[in-house]
Amino acid sequence: MSALAPDGRVAPTRRGPWLRRTAWGLFSAALLLLPLAVGSRPFELRLLTLMLLFGAMGQGWNILGGYAGQTAIGHGLFFGLGAYASLLVMREFGVSPWVAAPAAALVCMLAGTLIGWPCFKLRGHYFVIATLVIAESASLLFTSWDWAGGAMGLELPIRPESLLNLQFHRSKLPYYYVALALVAGATALTALLERSKVGFVLRAIRDDEEAVRSLGFSPLRYKLIAMAASTAIVGLCGAFHLQYVLFIDPPSVLGLGLSVMIALIPILGGVGTLAGPIVGAVILVSMSEYARIIFSGGGRGVDLMIYGGLIMGIALYRPAGIMSLLRTERVVALRMRLGLGR
Amino acid sequence: MRANKGTSLLLSLGIAFTLAGQALAENVVRIGAIYPLSGPAGKSGEDTLNAIRLAVDVINKSDPNSNLPFAKVAGLPGLGGAKIELIAADHQGSPEIGAAEAERMIVQEKVVALIGAFHSSVAATASQVAERMEVPFISGESEATNLTERGYRYFFRTTPSSSTQARDFFLFLRDLNKKESKPVRTIAIVHENTLWGQEFAKSAEAYFPEFPEFKLAINVAYQNGATDVTSEVQKLIAAKPDVVFHASYDAEAILFARTYKTYNFHPQGIMAIGAAFGSSAFRQALGPDANFYLVREHWARDLGRSNKLITEVAALYQSRYGKAMDGTPARAFQATLVLADAINRAGSTDKEAIRKALAATNLSAEHLIMPWESVRFDGKGQNVGSRGIFTQTQNLAPTTVWPFEMATASIVWPRPAAR
Amino acid sequence: MQAELLIQLLLSGLGMGFIFALIAIGLTLIYGVMNVVNFAHGEFLMLSMYASYWAYALLGADPLVSLPFVAGAMFLFGVGVYYALIRRTMKSSMHAQIFVTFGLMVFLQAAAQFFWGADYHAIQDSRLSGVLLVGGIALPVPQIASGVGALLATAGLYLLVFRTAVGRSLRAAAQDREAAQTVGIDVDRMNALAWGIGAACVGTAGSLLSTFYYVFPRVGSVFVLVAYVTVAMGGFGSIGGALVSGLLIGVLQVFSGFFLSSSLKFVPVFLLYLAIVLVRSRGLLGSQ
Repeated sequence: MSALAPDGRVAPTRRGPWLRRTAWGLFSAALLLLPLAVGSRPFELRLLTLMLLFGAMGQGWNILGGYAGQTAIGHGLFFGLGAYASLLVMREFGVSPWVAAPAAALVCMLAGTLIGWPCFKLRGHYFVIATLVIAESASLLFTSWDWAGGAMGLELPIRPESLLNLQFHRSKLPYYYVALALVAGATALTALLERSKVGFVLRAIRDDEEAVRSLGFSPLRYKLIAMAASTAIVGLCGAFHLQYVLFIDPPSVLGLGLSVMIALIPILGGVGTLAGPIVGAVILVSMSEYARIIFSGGGRGVDLMIYGGLIMGIALYRPAGIMSLLRTERVVALRMRLGLGR
Repeated sequence: MRANKGTSLLLSLGIAFTLAGQALAENVVRIGAIYPLSGPAGKSGEDTLNAIRLAVDVINKSDPNSNLPFAKVAGLPGLGGAKIELIAADHQGSPEIGAAEAERMIVQEKVVALIGAFHSSVAATASQVAERMEVPFISGESEATNLTERGYRYFFRTTPSSSTQARDFFLFLRDLNKKESKPVRTIAIVHENTLWGQEFAKSAEAYFPEFPEFKLAINVAYQNGATDVTSEVQKLIAAKPDVVFHASYDAEAILFARTYKTYNFHPQGIMAIGAAFGSSAFRQALGPDANFYLVREHWARDLGRSNKLITEVAALYQSRYGKAMDGTPARAFQATLVLADAINRAGSTDKEAIRKALAATNLSAEHLIMPWESVRFDGKGQNVGSRGIFTQTQNLAPTTVWPFEMATASIVWPRPAAR
Repeated sequence: MQAELLIQLLLSGLGMGFIFALIAIGLTLIYGVMNVVNFAHGEFLMLSMYASYWAYALLGADPLVSLPFVAGAMFLFGVGVYYALIRRTMKSSMHAQIFVTFGLMVFLQAAAQFFWGADYHAIQDSRLSGVLLVGGIALPVPQIASGVGALLATAGLYLLVFRTAVGRSLRAAAQDREAAQTVGIDVDRMNALAWGIGAACVGTAGSLLSTFYYVFPRVGSVFVLVAYVTVAMGGFGSIGGALVSGLLIGVLQVFSGFFLSSSLKFVPVFLLYLAIVLVRSRGLLGSQ
């Protein structure tokens, strides 16, 4: 059943990964069928779509913040950049969103690399503040940039509904599946990265950058790879948002609150884990939506008090994120008994 | 055979009467209202929504002593006394949430019309949903000019657009120059840099060709949420304008006014758009220094002298909500009445009939609680009968000073120096 | 270009800069001792502004008079926040610490709106209002007071940290927690003290700020980003650095607002921050 090594550690058995894969498989099947169960009602569908979108963005952030250990609180910039780049490419060149979105992702990768190159020299809180001020500068610049719509924002012209136009009007169900594809892709990429040499080096950088350097790896190079992957994913999500809402302006796609949310989701879910961002997205999105619906109105801010209180609670009692629940002593004992290893 | 025909006739008649009876039993008209009820604009959103709630109440209840439209009879007479049921939703200032709420209200709450949304960016997306689903959308306070430039059929706006409001500034100055010995020549524009301020500045700049006697001295944009406005004010001082057009929200209005006083900046006049410089918060914060600011208003309580409806609605709002009504709740109240009037004329809850009735709206001044000439929509859904006024804070009270024919006191011009 | 105008801009910039510095000093002290960035620092400012305002509105107390009480109350509040929240996260990652203070920020903003409404309040006249005219230059009294306050606070903190026994303990706890503990220093109490003093500093800033800036639930957000940049630019943990960079930022934003674009006046500030930390990765005066 389980192989007990001399130092007491439990080696993973053959059942472990098999069970994990089954869990993922069941979960994916559930996600595919969920809208049909929910009846495709607008509110629930939107909630689920948002969860998927934020899950995807959380995965993107996780590559940089979780696996590489670089806490960036400026990723809202790439969401906005993705949305704006996509719209402007469509406006100037008249191409389909299927061309514009990858182009936007490319722009974000470029921007991320350009920003990361100097900034990755910075450590700890200095890096955090750097990402903050860069994102804020971008927000200010876009607000004053007439060609990009300035403070008034830009509307995406309504096209007949089709997959080619990536616009759906009568039912929002297709958006759900596009978002599902996004989060599945982001998760798959993260899983691949996790198992690859790049992922190994990134985790090593997170733990001890000097040691990595002394082994002959260039931390900068690997951090840039993580940055490129991270910003491309978030940029794609921004392009999706554009197709979903059909309108963008600096406050809605470049706000500081967005940057914080993108970072908060994987952190509360479980930094550096594969399921963390998804768990975090489910919890945070439903928390903020239901708090608003139940408690707002009256304009007294009760919903935000609850939201803030919940964030404090999770940060205090599960500082490693919700996924750390799987590593508490009782759960570990249970897993060992089931022969799943740690 | 004949018995069968008779039976089927009776049956058809019976069904027809039952259906008709069902239609009459639908004594409720559901309207959705989408406003910011939390977040930074939460207070203003709540105040505006309260005015709509008040209007719905006035319509639904019967008060023989009131002269307000629909007040004397309970409900809408054109629908057999049907009452309006108002369903409110909070969009938190987010265009995406606004669109989602619009859709939810149409699909799940089955509203026949929507009213909203305070923020123009939210009105844009929410009305986009309404247009697609062919539901009338009326806005009493979303001012972005392009909202009526989209070629929509279901969007109607009673408030004047940002562009129209900017033009009032020039009309006022032109009028003033006829009276004053020292004519105004140079104008400085200072504005906050989000959608509202940017749009006002652009609209104002676009009018200089039409009013060539004026020149733009400088255009100063500042970041919303400024910690300090020294550089902005010094730029204004250096440009030496005759007047300043000012677009600020409540908070920075206070900051600017204090900074103006610190540096003794006193052009001939400081003219503001929006409610900030005329608000009670502003007067409380500045005391006597709040005097002499000019505000392009939509509505003023002292106009009740010539329009009894204004006095009545102001008193109602004050007694119910404990605060003074100002231009934005007043506009929302008026928009609700316009919508009710259209539904009433349509005589049904059919959305297309309501839309047609809205397009045909023709309300003259004596039916309005706004100091407008009329409410009539042009082909784009914009009300062309509105009229702007300027109030000046005199003795810490907003006093209508323009149009001069409607003034309740004469204007103090030029501004006295602070020290 | 008139010399008078330049001098006016410079002095106004310094005046604002002293306020930024005063807000930042508390933040950098907390970081210096505990390596924790308080993301709710802006809300500490907001609370102290409200305290000063309510003392004025309900008790008729001039902000200058209520200042020591506000600072004292904020000291207790800071200590309380440490024991209630921060202590539990000391062993957690930087992430957890960031987000517990972030949650506190959201909570405090919402609570302020809940209890006191979203209205703007401003103190109309205090002993500290008005303007001093020197030649043709206008010097707002509140900003002179902030300048004095900031200099006194910096000097006071220096004395405390470098000349007293308590200060020695604080520095020891900052440098090496374990070693300090073995020497018998109660690191827990040092942390609480740091939070208390840091909160008292920002409380002083809030009192002074309330004499000329308006109070509302989100006023913290207006100043907080500048505060972080001030701290980071000066070097996390460096009191002198916070003072210097505060002044630098105050002057830079006035000049770039006047000569460049007012709506983008903080962009040069942000660029300056990046330039400084990329050259000297611990900020202007931070220790390696």
